[in-house]
Amino acid sequence: MSGESRPLVCVACSIFRDEMERLQAQEQTDLPVRFLGSMLHMVPERLEQRLKAAVQEELAKGHDVLLAYGDCCPHMVDIEEGDGVGRTGGINCCEILLGREAYRRLRREGVFFLMPEWTLNWKAVFRDTLGLHDENARHFMRDMHTRLVYLDTGLIRVPEEELTEIAQFTGLPVERMQVSLDPLLASLRDAAERILGHE
Amino acid sequence: MTEGFIKGMGSVTGGSGAMERDWCGELVSYIRGADRVAANALISDWAERSSYESAVVELMAPALELFGKLWADNAGDTSLAQGYVAAKVAEDLLSKVLALRETSGLPPAPAKGPVVVGNIEDDFHPLGRKMLVAFLRCDGWKVEDLGVDVSPGAFVDSAQEVGARVVGASAMMFSTAKNVKRLREEVDRRGLRGRLQIAAGGAVFRLRPELVVEFGADGTSPTALQAPALFQELWARSVRLFPG
Repeated sequence: MSGESRPLVCVACSIFRDEMERLQAQEQTDLPVRFLGSMLHMVPERLEQRLKAAVQEELAKGHDVLLAYGDCCPHMVDIEEGDGVGRTGGINCCEILLGREAYRRLRREGVFFLMPEWTLNWKAVFRDTLGLHDENARHFMRDMHTRLVYLDTGLIRVPEEELTEIAQFTGLPVERMQVSLDPLLASLRDAAERILGHE
Repeated sequence: MTEGFIKGMGSVTGGSGAMERDWCGELVSYIRGADRVAANALISDWAERSSYESAVVELMAPALELFGKLWADNAGDTSLAQGYVAAKVAEDLLSKVLALRETSGLPPAPAKGPVVVGNIEDDFHPLGRKMLVAFLRCDGWKVEDLGVDVSPGAFVDSAQEVGARVVGASAMMFSTAKNVKRLREEVDRRGLRGRLQIAAGGAVFRLRPELVVEFGADGTSPTALQAPALFQELWARSVRLFPG
């Protein structure tokens, strides 16, 4: 899966690091990948600056750019609509991993998703960035959601200790859901075809 | 005994004038500390000296206005938790007012509206919408809350059913905000342009206010706290255009 006229590189959120590396190891993709930290999401403006800079750098090197991202910052559409640039379909990383139908069904049920990398960093996300603590955290999460679902791509040990902590912190039950890398791969392929199709 | 409220400062002067208390400042301080319990205790304290009904207008409203300004300016490093607590404190107060009215046999307070709100189709982020509902209700609006992932047709059906002049569509991201344009088209298709005003809100509209015009909404507000003023303005515009 590489560009014919200009080399295609992938700029990806580090939330997909293990999954992208597994796809590379399985030779499902030969895209070179450049990762940006997933915690940039907590400051969308900063994420946007870093993404724009990364895309410009790659374009200047003569590369096309595939963004493995959801609609994660306010001007994502402007970044992805540039010449030689395309993005994986999906609102966010969870939809990219699950596919649209499963994502919508679970969100309608009130599910809050836990991705492997964020699960390991849950204290920084919930406490430090969102400012949620103790009773507020439980009220907030139970007001907004019905349960937690950990998306297990099978590439790291399920962080049971952290999941238990998060369940206690939020007051919500947690489920483990095994997910295949097929929707991610399909999304990468679709985006690559769109980029190549524009050339 | 409560003798007076100095609007903007939020001070209530005690009997001799010697014991002043900055009620509004204290409430904002508790909200910024995301301390719902302390905020509710303060309001109960107010109600003992005056009433819960007066707390809505004389304490909560100016506190929310002040907090809203801080939020819009981001001067106080406002967090999601603070915004959530502000909404919950408003909800708690409103619940007390409604319960007291019911037990006292008083009729419900006259409501503004009705208005319809929901997350636009494909949007599943309820926080902003829930805060909007809380602040609108606290401001006296009758609100029909349609929840998440609401199609343009469902918004307009509901508005026509309840007789709303304003619909509030919440969207967090550009991908979902695009569906506000479909709401615009649906309102126009049914010949309701002007009569049914569209308020668009959510993170993407705060960060990209030009999208309000691009997607055909009639207005927005920087935060949910400032939405009641927007709804008032849009309602008045609708009445001016279509008095009947």
